[in-house]
Amino acid sequence: MIAKLDSAPLGMAVRIARIDWDILSHDEGRRLREFGLMEGVEVKPLHRGSLFSREPLALGIGRMQVIIRGRQAAAIAVEPVETEPAAAA
Amino acid sequence: MTGAIPTIVLVGNPNAGKSSLFNALTGARQKIANYPGVTVERKAGHASFADGRPAALIDLPGSYSLTPASPDEAVTRDVVLGRQAGERRPDALVVVVDAANLDNHLCFALELIALGLPTVIALNMVDLAERDGLTLDAERLAAELGVPVVPTVAVRKRGLTELLAAIDGAILSHQTQADAIPAPPPTDVALHQRARAIARVATLAETPVRRWTQRVDAVVLHPVAGFLILLALMFVMFQAVYAWSEAPIGWIEDGIAALQGVATDALPDGFLRGLIVEGLLAGVGAVVVFLPQILILFLFILLLEASGYMTRAAFLMDGLMAKVGLSGRGFIPLLSSFACAVPGIMATRAIPDPKDRLTTILIAPLMTCSARLPVYTLIIGVFIPNRAVGGLPVGLQGLVLFGLYVAGIVGALIVAFVLRRSVTKGSAAGFMMEMPRYQWPRLRDVAISLWQRAWIFLRRAGTIIAFTTVVLWLLLSFPKAPADSELRQVDYSVAGRIASGLETVVRPIGFNHDIALALIPAMAAREIAVSALATANAIDAGDDEDQVAMSLGERLQGRWSLATALAFLAWFVFAPQCISTIAITRRETNGWKWPLFMVGYLFALAYAAAGITYWTAVAFGLG
Repeated sequence: MIAKLDSAPLGMAVRIARIDWDILSHDEGRRLREFGLMEGVEVKPLHRGSLFSREPLALGIGRMQVIIRGRQAAAIAVEPVETEPAAAA
Repeated sequence: MTGAIPTIVLVGNPNAGKSSLFNALTGARQKIANYPGVTVERKAGHASFADGRPAALIDLPGSYSLTPASPDEAVTRDVVLGRQAGERRPDALVVVVDAANLDNHLCFALELIALGLPTVIALNMVDLAERDGLTLDAERLAAELGVPVVPTVAVRKRGLTELLAAIDGAILSHQTQADAIPAPPPTDVALHQRARAIARVATLAETPVRRWTQRVDAVVLHPVAGFLILLALMFVMFQAVYAWSEAPIGWIEDGIAALQGVATDALPDGFLRGLIVEGLLAGVGAVVVFLPQILILFLFILLLEASGYMTRAAFLMDGLMAKVGLSGRGFIPLLSSFACAVPGIMATRAIPDPKDRLTTILIAPLMTCSARLPVYTLIIGVFIPNRAVGGLPVGLQGLVLFGLYVAGIVGALIVAFVLRRSVTKGSAAGFMMEMPRYQWPRLRDVAISLWQRAWIFLRRAGTIIAFTTVVLWLLLSFPKAPADSELRQVDYSVAGRIASGLETVVRPIGFNHDIALALIPAMAAREIAVSALATANAIDAGDDEDQVAMSLGERLQGRWSLATALAFLAWFVFAPQCISTIAITRRETNGWKWPLFMVGYLFALAYAAAGITYWTAVAFGLG
């Protein structure tokens, strides 16, 4: 089962299955990779949006948290992590 | 070694603590705070090795790689690669990495090591990493990376001696070797895989990410509660600006009155006494009394910056910012502009998208900077009753002040909305930012920053404000009105006549001669409006004992209608009366086009806002 990161439920770790680099600008793609967001990496959606909007999205990746907008999250396909969810962060 | 002083460059990811390390090594007091992108330009300083030999140290903006995404990151690339004009290649690199985020920070470190320059890794914030349950093996890390690794805690000055020794050693051993051939930079993905692999072997023990920060974020970043907390914080800030400042303002006022008394007694009546008592002391004193309020405001902003809350605020505001075509990233410079628009405009260098950045620069002067506080508080103090609102522990004066801040913010959002659909049209701005961990603000750092702000404010009062006030006093005092003149001295003088000319332009929006007189010198800086009113008032009072006894506030109350006072407040929400802001906008946009545009649209808005306020107030019978 593969979903897009912009609709993934909060608080559950997922693995990045595929990133559609073509719909991202060159700079956006590079910054995602610089944050460590690439195929095979586990991320955990933590917070989403405020009163005004369902964007942006705060993600846990390793020991850091990054903020991205829905547009970038929509380019990222994720799949559930098969192992114990508690082991991921 | 050729005998030249070696240039050592501090480089690394954003928020790794480069500036803290720079301050610790050089004794400088560069701004440090807990969010990515605090340093936006190259800063130089001096350090010395253990034996006293000097070294030039350069602090750079944080970056994720040598491929820049924003103007500040371009500076980093240029300095590291020796492309910066007038500068040679650095003699050594100190790569500052956050010990608690090796996975990510080692990527840029690997890219930098591959350049082949003498390199040392400062494994910074090891104390916070330990707090978060990480145990690292610095020697293993050094073996994997092939360069020395020194654990440091920059803010506690730990590891500095070892770091300097390692840099010295790296430079020396580099010279004895044949020049290494730099390895070709690997791809992003390969870099990350290597970084993660190295981080794994260098980590001896690891506990899961600490829970308390997550619990705090669950509330602070909650879509509804988080936003209410942000609003409440700002509201408390403006209440505190009034509530906490009353006593210290009283002390300063008493001090100035005492000085005026001393000067009046010591000097014979005449030119010099007038200049000092009516010009310098009345004018500069009227501004200096606002020091406590400005420091309270800065205290709040410093605490927000140091704790890591600023990025949370950016996260919460991004949705709203997106609706007007900006990004949450822009919220940080805008919030800094509450202190002063000049550093706020500088801080926009961390915004990647040029149109997003330009728009943020153009609306930054709408954020209520601390120079408006004297104007606002004087007028509010005189015309708005000091009472609680509806039995709540909320002062009406603080509420009006809060309203003026909100007016500035709403105005800025509307302007951004219009600009992004017209003059700065472009693709939607993105928002990609790292969220820092929370940190307790360090008392020493906060105290130093507050002291720096106090000093800047007092220096302004002692230089530009004192100078303008004295010039204004001269222009107000001459020529002397003849005894039988129907005009008051302030109307008869050179300044008074110029003001009468301006008055014809601003009379439709309810401004009187006092205001017209204050507006011209206030072009240099907004708070001069207050010192100008005070100086004119002191001259007007002359030697009349009853008049002199009246405060500036009491006199304004007798001469201005409430409608005029409100129009004056509305004017200052928008008016771009600050030479420094115009100058920095010219520098940051490389030309006169945008600063002129900014000044033009802001004056137009100020005129309209003051007019609408005045006519509405008059219609309600407040004229």
